[in-house]
Amino acid sequence: MKIRILLLTVFVGITFSLKAQKNEYSILLISDSLKVNANAVVRLNQIDIVISSQRNMTISTKRVITVLNEKGLSAIDAVENYNKKTTVKDIEAYVYDGLGNEVRKIKRKDFKDQSAVGSSTLFSDSRYVYLDYTPTQYPFTVVYESKLETSNTAFIPQWYPVSNFFVSVEKSVLNVDCPVNLGFKKMEFNFENFNIQKINDTPTQLSYTASNILAQKQEDYSPVFSFVLPKVMMALELFHLEDVDGSAKTWKEFGQWYSDEILSGTTVLSEETKAKMRTLVGEEKDPIIKAKLIYNYVQQKSRYVSIQVGIGGWKPMYANDVDRLGYGDCKALTNYTKALLEAVGVPSYNTILYGDSYKKDIESEFVSMQGNHMILAIPNGNKYTWLECTSQDDPFGYQGTFTDDRNVLVIKPEGGEIVRTKLYEDRDNTQLSSGTYSLSKEGDLLGEITIISEGSQYNQKAMLENLQPTEKEAHYKKYWSNISNLKINKTAFSNDKENVRLTERTEISAVNYGNISGGKMMFALNAYNQYTGTVKRIRNRKNPFEIQRGFTDVDEITIVLPHEFAIEFLPNNYELKSKFGAYKTEFIKKDNGSILYKRSLFINKGMYSNTEYDEYRVFIEQVSRNDNAKTILTKI
Amino acid sequence: MKFNQLILFLFVSLFYLNANAQKFELGKVSLEELQEKAHPVDTSAAAAILYKKAKTYFIHEIGTGFFVYHDYELRIKIYKKEGLKWADFKVHYRGGDENLVPEAVSFSDCVTYNLENKTIQATKLRTEGNLKTDINKYWNEALITMPNVKVGSIIEIHYTLKSKNVVQFPVFDFQYEIPVNYAEYDTDIPEVFIYKPILTGYLKVNAGSKIVDEKESFSYKFYQTSDFPFKYQLSNYKAENIPALKEEAYVDNLQNYRSSIQHELERTRFPFEKVEDYSITWDGVAKNIFDFNSFGRELNKDGYYEEDLKRIGLNVNSEFERLDVIFKFVKNKMNWNEYKGILTDKGVKKAYKDETGNVAEINFILIAMLNKAGIKADPVLISTRENGVPVYPNRTVFNSVIAAVEIDGKQILLDATNKYASLNILPLPDLNWTGRLINKDGSSKEINLVPDKVSNVNINLLLSINGQGKMVGNARIQKTDYEALNFREQKSSLQSERYLEKLESSLGGILIDDYKLNDDINLSSSIIESFSFVSNKHSDVIGGKIYITPLLFYNDTKNPFVENKRQMPIYFGFPKQEKYNINIEIPPGYKVESLPESVKVSTVDGIASFSINIMSVGNKIQIAVTKEISKAIVSADYYDVLKDFFQQVLDKQNEKIILIKV
Repeated sequence: MKIRILLLTVFVGITFSLKAQKNEYSILLISDSLKVNANAVVRLNQIDIVISSQRNMTISTKRVITVLNEKGLSAIDAVENYNKKTTVKDIEAYVYDGLGNEVRKIKRKDFKDQSAVGSSTLFSDSRYVYLDYTPTQYPFTVVYESKLETSNTAFIPQWYPVSNFFVSVEKSVLNVDCPVNLGFKKMEFNFENFNIQKINDTPTQLSYTASNILAQKQEDYSPVFSFVLPKVMMALELFHLEDVDGSAKTWKEFGQWYSDEILSGTTVLSEETKAKMRTLVGEEKDPIIKAKLIYNYVQQKSRYVSIQVGIGGWKPMYANDVDRLGYGDCKALTNYTKALLEAVGVPSYNTILYGDSYKKDIESEFVSMQGNHMILAIPNGNKYTWLECTSQDDPFGYQGTFTDDRNVLVIKPEGGEIVRTKLYEDRDNTQLSSGTYSLSKEGDLLGEITIISEGSQYNQKAMLENLQPTEKEAHYKKYWSNISNLKINKTAFSNDKENVRLTERTEISAVNYGNISGGKMMFALNAYNQYTGTVKRIRNRKNPFEIQRGFTDVDEITIVLPHEFAIEFLPNNYELKSKFGAYKTEFIKKDNGSILYKRSLFINKGMYSNTEYDEYRVFIEQVSRNDNAKTILTKI
Repeated sequence: MKFNQLILFLFVSLFYLNANAQKFELGKVSLEELQEKAHPVDTSAAAAILYKKAKTYFIHEIGTGFFVYHDYELRIKIYKKEGLKWADFKVHYRGGDENLVPEAVSFSDCVTYNLENKTIQATKLRTEGNLKTDINKYWNEALITMPNVKVGSIIEIHYTLKSKNVVQFPVFDFQYEIPVNYAEYDTDIPEVFIYKPILTGYLKVNAGSKIVDEKESFSYKFYQTSDFPFKYQLSNYKAENIPALKEEAYVDNLQNYRSSIQHELERTRFPFEKVEDYSITWDGVAKNIFDFNSFGRELNKDGYYEEDLKRIGLNVNSEFERLDVIFKFVKNKMNWNEYKGILTDKGVKKAYKDETGNVAEINFILIAMLNKAGIKADPVLISTRENGVPVYPNRTVFNSVIAAVEIDGKQILLDATNKYASLNILPLPDLNWTGRLINKDGSSKEINLVPDKVSNVNINLLLSINGQGKMVGNARIQKTDYEALNFREQKSSLQSERYLEKLESSLGGILIDDYKLNDDINLSSSIIESFSFVSNKHSDVIGGKIYITPLLFYNDTKNPFVENKRQMPIYFGFPKQEKYNINIEIPPGYKVESLPESVKVSTVDGIASFSINIMSVGNKIQIAVTKEISKAIVSADYYDVLKDFFQQVLDKQNEKIILIKV
């Protein structure tokens, strides 16, 4: 008995000393300015990166986050990815209450472990460990510590002193140690307007301290945060990736390495397949026409599957495997297409980029592993034709909105080269609508319309054709949400892939489109293309705003009025011009009693300052007000 | 209400259906199937299941007992590119946690068929396309990705799931998001197991069964082995030309309407052992669940909350106030870790100390404290909305547990896991069908979970309009009960400035200032918002006249029901009433030219009603509008009625007030 009591005493004693108060974590110490707009405060985020050799890097994180309310939970970010080459050496967390009293210790075994397979990745050997903690009170403070070790020195994590909206930063620290001979380099972005001090910057050491950064608000139409918030990119000239050493000072060298070490030997095909390709192109001499035939073949034969295993995350599957299996990811399908083109003597190059509808460049001034997607570049005169090989539908050479107008890295055997992909000009992103509708004396609408979409507007419409009937209906009900009681009677599509032009022909009807009360009928003449995108009022906007792609809409609609009614009021013609674009409407009475309605809307792409946002809002408000301008008919 | 047409307990006739048994077989892919360009019935289908066959059978292993094998065969035709995703096929199965023997999945004879130069070409699945992942502690995933699949291909998939879980079979689905031409399910069940097959959905399924004699070698207690004559019940279920399952608006949970068969263990009767009841009646289910240590015993635990209870509530005299105090205490103290379940995990004591727990822990703490305070409280087993409908007595239908209290003969339901819940206001996912209240003695009774109390939204607008059509005014909005709960949940996920931006755009782009919110869940279950507003958009000034829609920025613009046909019940969530009182001051120099007529519209059986009253007094126009839905869910039979009703309401709302210059 005595022994037990003794043990108990000792145990209690230890527990007590461990649970000592950490006054430094008390919320009373947070300055008021850091609480403005903040859901969480980063008290400290210290990242220590130690590169001990070309094949070894450890990343230690100590993060102290005070979470003020439940919207700030994501700022804890207690999650680490791992795989065969990256191990989580340590991971743990402590929770303190608002006054800094320890309330919980969470050891590694209490973290959850989960496969990285998800809705977009079919199979992956990556896994992640994450903290699953239910807060019992707000505010509270989490101290999170982790240590990762990896041989993949090709990826040094980027440093973001501010990585979340609505989170303020008391202190954020980066320390990097690196042997002198590996060619460590870095590049700083958007430091101006932020309190960031460079403590150390030698060939073997780099350190920064960022302090007292106020919480940033999220605002519509803002550029992505990597464009406005500070970051540091880092890389080695001598690096390592999945058992392969690499070295590159320039994009040329980088491309050469990628070509020699990662791509070489992956485009072997059977003689049978090569012969099949030669038969396919026949006597054709023009490389672009040959490429078209091959691209069509790949589109018919293959499907996109995301499988990320080992170096397969970086290295394409062998072309002859894709040939046999008929599936692959972006690298596999790009490489396969390249192999098939090789067989018919058409040169082409793997191209690395960021695939995203938000245009994001490969940072051309900083040579390092970048990008998340691969497409194929075929030399075409002094330009390139770009092929998206994961799509079974895209027209040949069409880039849509996923890979257009951005800097990409083209990998040639003689080296890499930064090139800009195709820009779809605002005036070429067109939607031309022409049609008619008639109104009955009850106000019922009966109409037909043809809509032709090109440029980046083609991208939004091209999938329409393949939708299920209920999905098509849902699309039109959303597109014409201004027409209540809309009924779609008929739809037909023609997809001209040669000219990248989608034509929709639709027949619709709607009861009571014309609103009758007291012998008058009231309705908006512009039934077919009302601008519905509202621009919200944002109080005290801070960020610039960006329109990434402009467009041009032109409408010409004939409206046949009921004989039983006469026009009492027709809106005036209207014209509006601003730096954001131009808008014009015309109402023309025809001899036969019908009305011709003409409308054009042109929006410029561009980056505008925060103060211009409200002007834009007013511009759009004018457009939508005039789109909705009412006509009144009187019963004869 | 015609829900009974949805769920059927199958009284399987002893007439075994043998015809067509050999109609489909793996490997017998025909030229016609490969040449088919579109599904003959549903031409929009991206793919179709040409046939699906499954068989469940038992194999007895000496020493370990019965294993259940579920064997599946599918033949899938790809018609369109959108159908290619059917070439990747996943099976989820249980890992080996706790005392369970892990399940095993094996694929075999998986083949892709293509037509090449008018001959059938077969590509077999090799190991590279067969991948397994441990998703987490409980679940594994087996994945195959079929080779050489393109538009026009036919895929055959064959796999077997081996399981020790005799309590529940995997659900056999007849219906998918693509059409199924033919589906057949066989079960060969030894007489020691008695299952209840439950059919859900609207599909006609043919069922039959017969009894056959077999011998089985058994090892039982004391490792004796002997041969027993044994009877098997062979059952067969089949259906043909099954349409794709399609989404409809206002549906509680689409999965409730998928045609499928579930099997739940009802009894076992092993030789030399007493018959073991697993479910049979709701009372049996209740008793069975109550007997679990992590249910009954955890529920009755004490010695952890008494001090707090003394402090907060024992001196409160009124039963109702005591209930209120204790409920608020538990709700504020305990934090839900988002795990559901009817059993405790770490136990109530640890949960209480940590101030976090799963649903059972939190509500058990509430029940224990209430009982200690002299308020009779009992657990109610429920199935949340995403879990589907508890159709037939069995243990596995329930996934959550709440509390029921009776004061002065009135029942009050409570769920302390949601910070915005209050007395008789449960989190919305709880409001599903019926629950089962379990008494201390293990007996049970049914509890209706579908709310019948009306939740209100009261909107008061006081505004003036000028000659340019600009409106300036004040708004006061009150939301009660479930409307308030909804509001609190939505608002809690948004930044306050972003909430205002969202509110402005949802109210047709009005500009809002002086926003105030009265929202204290501890004081009142309802909330009140007030603000001032300016709008340039909610009138049309045309030729010296001003046209105004009476409901201004609260005007409905769409009929929610647009489809011509309806199969599934229409789900509104809870009964609701919206009341508008709008007072408009017209500009000087104008008078009312015409007002929409006052009118009341309502449906049969009082499901929905709408009334509008407009009058003008001096330079003011007074508008009173009431919209009401009196039911939480109604049968699809009312679809046409509701569709017409919403249309009439929409047309009525769009009639204009017209002002004219004097």
